[in-house]
Parts: sequence; C-alpha cells; structure tokens
Amino acid sequence: MVAAAVAAKNGKRVTLLTLGAGTLTIGGGIIDVLGYGDEGVPLATPRAGLLEVGPEHPYKKIGPVAIEESLRFFKEICAAEGYPYLGSLDEMQWVPTAAGTFKPTCLIPKTMDTTQLNSATNVVVLGFEELKDFYPHLITKNFKNIPGFQDKNYEMVMIDPGLADGRDVTALDVARWLDTPEGLQDCIKQMSTRLKPDSVVIIPPVLGTRPDYVIADSLAQALSCTFVETAAVPPSITGFRLRTMLLSYVKKLGVRIVEQAAVARSIVENGKCTAVVTDGIDRERTYYAKAFILANGGFYGGGLVAEPGHAQEPIFKLPVAAPEDHELWANPNLFSNKPQPFAKIGVAVDETMRPLDENGKVVLTNVFVAGRNLQGYDFCFEKSGNGVALASGYQAAMSMDREIK
Amino acid sequence: MKKHHNNPDSCTACTVCIAHCPVTAATNQFRGPKMVGPALERMRLSQEDVEPSLEYCSNCKNCDMSCPSGVPISTLNMLARAKLFKTRKHSKRDYILSHGEQAAKLAAMMPFGAALANMGMDMSRGILKMIGISDKAPLPPYARASFIKQFKALRQQSYPDKVVFYPGCFINYNDPKVGMDFVAVMQANQYEVIVESDLVCCGSPLVVNGFLDEAEANAKINIQILKKWTDQGIPVITCCTSCGLMLKQEYQELFHIEGVEEYAKHLYDAGEFLLELYDKGRLNTNFGTLNEQYMYHAPCHLRAQGMGLPGLELLELIPGLEVKDVDAGCCGISGNYGFKDDKYDIAMKIGAPLFAKLKESGLSTTISECGTCRLQIAHGAQVKTLHPMTVVRKAYEKYGK
Repeated sequence: MVAAAVAAKNGKRVTLLTLGAGTLTIGGGIIDVLGYGDEGVPLATPRAGLLEVGPEHPYKKIGPVAIEESLRFFKEICAAEGYPYLGSLDEMQWVPTAAGTFKPTCLIPKTMDTTQLNSATNVVVLGFEELKDFYPHLITKNFKNIPGFQDKNYEMVMIDPGLADGRDVTALDVARWLDTPEGLQDCIKQMSTRLKPDSVVIIPPVLGTRPDYVIADSLAQALSCTFVETAAVPPSITGFRLRTMLLSYVKKLGVRIVEQAAVARSIVENGKCTAVVTDGIDRERTYYAKAFILANGGFYGGGLVAEPGHAQEPIFKLPVAAPEDHELWANPNLFSNKPQPFAKIGVAVDETMRPLDENGKVVLTNVFVAGRNLQGYDFCFEKSGNGVALASGYQAAMSMDREIK
Repeated sequence: MKKHHNNPDSCTACTVCIAHCPVTAATNQFRGPKMVGPALERMRLSQEDVEPSLEYCSNCKNCDMSCPSGVPISTLNMLARAKLFKTRKHSKRDYILSHGEQAAKLAAMMPFGAALANMGMDMSRGILKMIGISDKAPLPPYARASFIKQFKALRQQSYPDKVVFYPGCFINYNDPKVGMDFVAVMQANQYEVIVESDLVCCGSPLVVNGFLDEAEANAKINIQILKKWTDQGIPVITCCTSCGLMLKQEYQELFHIEGVEEYAKHLYDAGEFLLELYDKGRLNTNFGTLNEQYMYHAPCHLRAQGMGLPGLELLELIPGLEVKDVDAGCCGISGNYGFKDDKYDIAMKIGAPLFAKLKESGLSTTISECGTCRLQIAHGAQVKTLHPMTVVRKAYEKYGK
C-alpha cells in the first residue's frame, strides 16, 4: 500500500491487485522499525539497531537515508489524513500491551504516547465489562514487576458498554460503541464518576474505529485525563485505523484497486515482466504494466510457498534460498534469544529492491520486491514488521521511478 | 484461486473477516463470520450443530473478500443453512422471498397481471408484515411488460458477432429498461443479442434462505441452456452482479455440476465485456458528451468477482461525464435480506454511512449495477438510481446531436 502511495505520488498510474484485506487489521497499527538486536537484546534506539544489521537484512540494502525518508513520507500521509503519528528513529517507544508488558516500537498514534504514563504516580487501568482479552488485574500485576512501574499506585476501573446481550465482546465492538454519539456520552458519564481529573488511564484500543483523534480528544477534554491505548489481540483497532487511513490516501491519489485478484503467474520476455495474470474462479485476466512491485507477504500471505527442503516465490518464480534439510528451518526453542530461520527465508534483492538470482545478478529488471517477500529478517523476533514493509515499499517505488522511464 | 476449497481448516482465526463484516458492525446478535462460518463448520462436519445466529449472515461476501487465506466463509454459512433446513420447515416469508420468480410469472400470465399485482402488493403490505416482510422495505413493483416480452417485440439488426444475455428475475420482471438499454448498447457495438426464454432464476434468492436443492435444480437448467452457447465460444452476459456471481462462482462453490468450470470462462458482466472490447480496440467510442454528474456505488457482489469496477471505468470513457465512486461499503439490502422485518433495521444501519455520503454529495442520482442495491439506495438516500448501461445508451444516442 505504501509502494502504491509513493508511485502514485510520483505521478504513476497505479493498479493495486489485492487478495484479502491484508494483515494490517491483525497487526498493531504501529510502525516497529527495530526493537531487538540479533541476540534478543533491546536496542537503545531504532537508529542504533540499523547500524548493526547483517548484510542480508533489507535495511542494509535500503540504507539509512531511504529509511528515514520513508518514515517522513509515512508521517506526511498521517498528517494529511488527520491522524498524525509520533516518534522517530532516535527514540524507542515502549508501548504497553494488554498482557501488562511493554513492547518496543518506533512510530505510534498519539493515543499510544506513554510520556505521561512514565512520569505518573497514579495510574488507572480501565477495562470494559464483557470485553475479552483485556484484564486490568493482569496488567496491574505484571506492571508491578517492571522496573520504573513498581512504585506507581494502580487503580482498576470497569466501564459497562451495555454489550452483554450478544456475542463475545471484542475491542472492535467497544470502539464501535464509542463511535456513536450516544455511546460516547454514556461512556463519559460513567467515567466522570470514577476517574479523577489529571489521571493517566491505560485503556484497550477502543478510541473509535476511524483514523482520527475525535473520540480520544473528546474523552480527554471531557474528563481532563490522559488515555493510553495498549497493543492488544486481533481484531486490532489501531491496525484497522491504519488500513483505513492508507486506503483513503491511495484512493485520493487515483490508485485503482482490484479486490479478489489472485495473481497466479507472470509473463516474462527478455528479462522483463510484461504482465501478470490473475486466476479467477471463472477465468484468467491479464494486467499489463511497465513495472511491477511484489508485496504479497510471506508464507502466511501466500507470497512464498514452501515444501520440505524447498521454498519458492510463486508468481515470478524468483529463487528463494532455503536449507535443503528442513530440520534446519526451525529453531525448536520457541522462546530462545535466537530468530527463527524459516522467518528469514525470502527473496534476495539488490539496493533497488530488484530480485537477485543465486549469483547475485538481477533476475527481472522491472520487478521490485517489498515487505515480507524479502529475505533476511525475522520481523516477529526483532520487531520490524511494518518498518521493513514501509521502508522497502518506499524504496521499491522510488527505485522504480528512477529505473523505469 | 481456481475452485474454492470449502475447507474450514484453511481458516487461521485471524479475525480479519470480523473487522470487515457489515452485519457484525450493525448488530451484536450475530456471532460473526469466523465463528459462524469456519469455526462452527468444524463442529458441523461431525455432528449437527445449530447456531441460532447463522440466520444473520446476509451472504454479502465481504468476509470472503477480506480473508487472507481464501476461505469462502459466506458459502460455508449458506451450506450450513441448507443443512439446517433439511430437517426443518421454511417460514412462509422465506418461501415468498425466495420464489419471487413464481409470483412474477403468475402475474405476467394474467392480463393486467402486473398492475393488479402491484395494487395488490400495496394493499397487502399489512399481510406481508404479518408473515415477516417489513412494511417499510423497498419491495420492487412489477413492470407492465416483462423484459422477455419487450425483447421479443424488438427488431434487432443482425450481426455475425453474438452474445447471450441472461436478464435474471429483477431485470425481467421489475426493471426491464436495463435489459433493453443493454441490448441497445450491444447493437451500437454491432453485436446481436440472444435471449433464451427458458432460463430460470439463478438461484441466489433460494440459496440465502436455505432452498439449496431448488437452487441446484435451477443451476442445472441454466447451465444446460447456456452451455449450448458457451461451447460455441459465445459469451453470456449479465447486467445483475448477483446473478453473475451466482452463475459463475457460487454454482462452482455450492454444487458439483459437470462442465461448470469450462462454461464459467465465458460469463461476463456487461461493463467488463464492453471494457474488454475497448482494450481490443473494438468498442464503439462514438459517445456524445454528457455534461452530467453522478455518484457510483460498487455492489459487494461485483467486488467479489475479482475484476475491479469495470462499469465505473467504462463510464469514465464518456466525455463530459463525471462519476464519483462513493466507496462507502455495503448498502445492507443483500438480495432479500433487507426485506425481512427482523433484518430491515440492520440493513438500514449497514447502509447508513453510504446513504449519508450520497446525501452529502448533493447529487440527485446514483449509478449501480445491482438492482436491489438501487432499491435500497433510493429508499435510504432518497436519490434516483440508474444502471451503467442506461447511461452508456444515452451517450450513444447523444452522439452527433
């Protein structure tokens, strides 16, 4: 989506072929650039980590200048859409999670800003009746084990969104309740009897489903409190907002989106791709273009396919290096301080994000690769998922602009 | 993608479908696509498992469209509904809503039947309400003369290039103008249109209420008739996106009918077909200038077909015409879902953001391919509606004037 935004911004006519709504809605809606080093040690800043990544890492290929530019580009999108993000490469943001832990990240919506939380003496952990997967007592208990958070006073408050009659309640249901004027008023009324002004309040990600701060600002103003949204389990409201925002932005730039477009293969002539072909339930459809950006995910999204001892990128048949002995694909110690080898399997690229063969030669001159299709990083382990997606999407579209005239 | 595998185990329970389900957003009585579809399907495979909230699924297909793992969630729901009705009786309401074709045929057979039926419908809204059809819902009146009747009276220019048109019940009995506009557009492109009068309802309204066996019987009749043409390479075209989806996709997902894959290759949406002609340099682009502004609503059942929004792209070729995609999601009606008394409010709530954006636009007319979307939009947003083919025909007729 970022690649489409950059290309369209550069005046290209862009078609986005999509299959499914992508994983933004199940991700955290924050931009993790780099949280942990190779040994699982937390980094001081994302920028410090960028200096240490190995030669295979996408960040190494992209380089610090383009990474910085990509973050700026993203923040410009957010500002233009009225949902500005905070943060920079020079500061690690530690955001609270619904499990009462903290995770490192880089760019965050302002509803996840922890500045006030870090200095507060009194903290309210606010839950909602019937909401699953957000338990204030668990958060409080775990916070008390975290240095810097042990000596704070915690108070637990529950709000009733009136959703008991119906299905299991998710954060999305509560966010939709707050989207309505009646829900917002009811919530303010309930909170006003239980929250003291100037409190710092930890809250699940429920401050509205739309990519703006209308709900957050309304609550903050009405109650004179600071609300801090946690990272939580899917469906992720912060991720939902991020997706809505990016979609809105690319549509304004005239990007044409085709849903349910299952790209099955490509047509290649003389080292160049001339078209990709979708394999619908009815028939094939061919999409011609001057250049192509591949950003359809890893093993989970179908951008990479695996069988024992062998992995492949199915559309362009790009080479994917993987150990022949599939026993070597996984690190059996799930919670060890080492990344998972399978997570690093992907397409090798040059500095312009063009795919390389085993000898390091560019395979297709007008194809660029971004996101989890790339090799060399375990996003889950090092916390770099949306960061690599953003920086490589930016780099792929910018290189395309330079290379394809 | 090819043929969907109705395998609930492809679901990783990622919850993307929950976030994109319009019914889930509108009511917390529905347990959501993930739970009611693949999660409970695993139970249903081994034992009878009755999930009361299954009735809330509208088969709009936004879950299927959002799924990163290609699970046809809504189809699992429809199959479960059919299984449920193997041992239960259908309500009168569901019978009536699913068998609109029978009633329409009856009305069409009598002299002044359509007019009498329309009068009768106005008077019997109270009775319909008693059996569970909303007295507020925008039920469509019958046209005075069906499409088939009007088509038979039309003298077409004969051309070597031919297409078969599948009108579907809504165009045939309620909105024949769309069909006649389509024929005019094809004639302007030097195509002769063939209409087979023995074709039956595609089965979409039957499937959503669990009449799966009847839908399969209809599928067999339609495929047998249409295959005669598709085997010769003659394309079959629909102007109704729900009929189109049913004829080519849901027939494959729901039934095992021989030859359906080959036949499906020749099925086209009208906009898609004309846009392909444009790509081949074969489209008649002698459009007159239309200095008009419209909003456009993409039906969910078009988006689900993996071809983008061809109708909208086609309209962009007409000089002077400005059409803006409202892009506000499902209208809520989903076939006959919004006609049901207990679903009317849900359908209106689903469509509310769309209606608000249409009203906000200040434009008096919205274009959309789907007949029931147009009913719901006219009802909810108080605007006029048109099918893209009507506008394309108008542009041809305006040429040189």
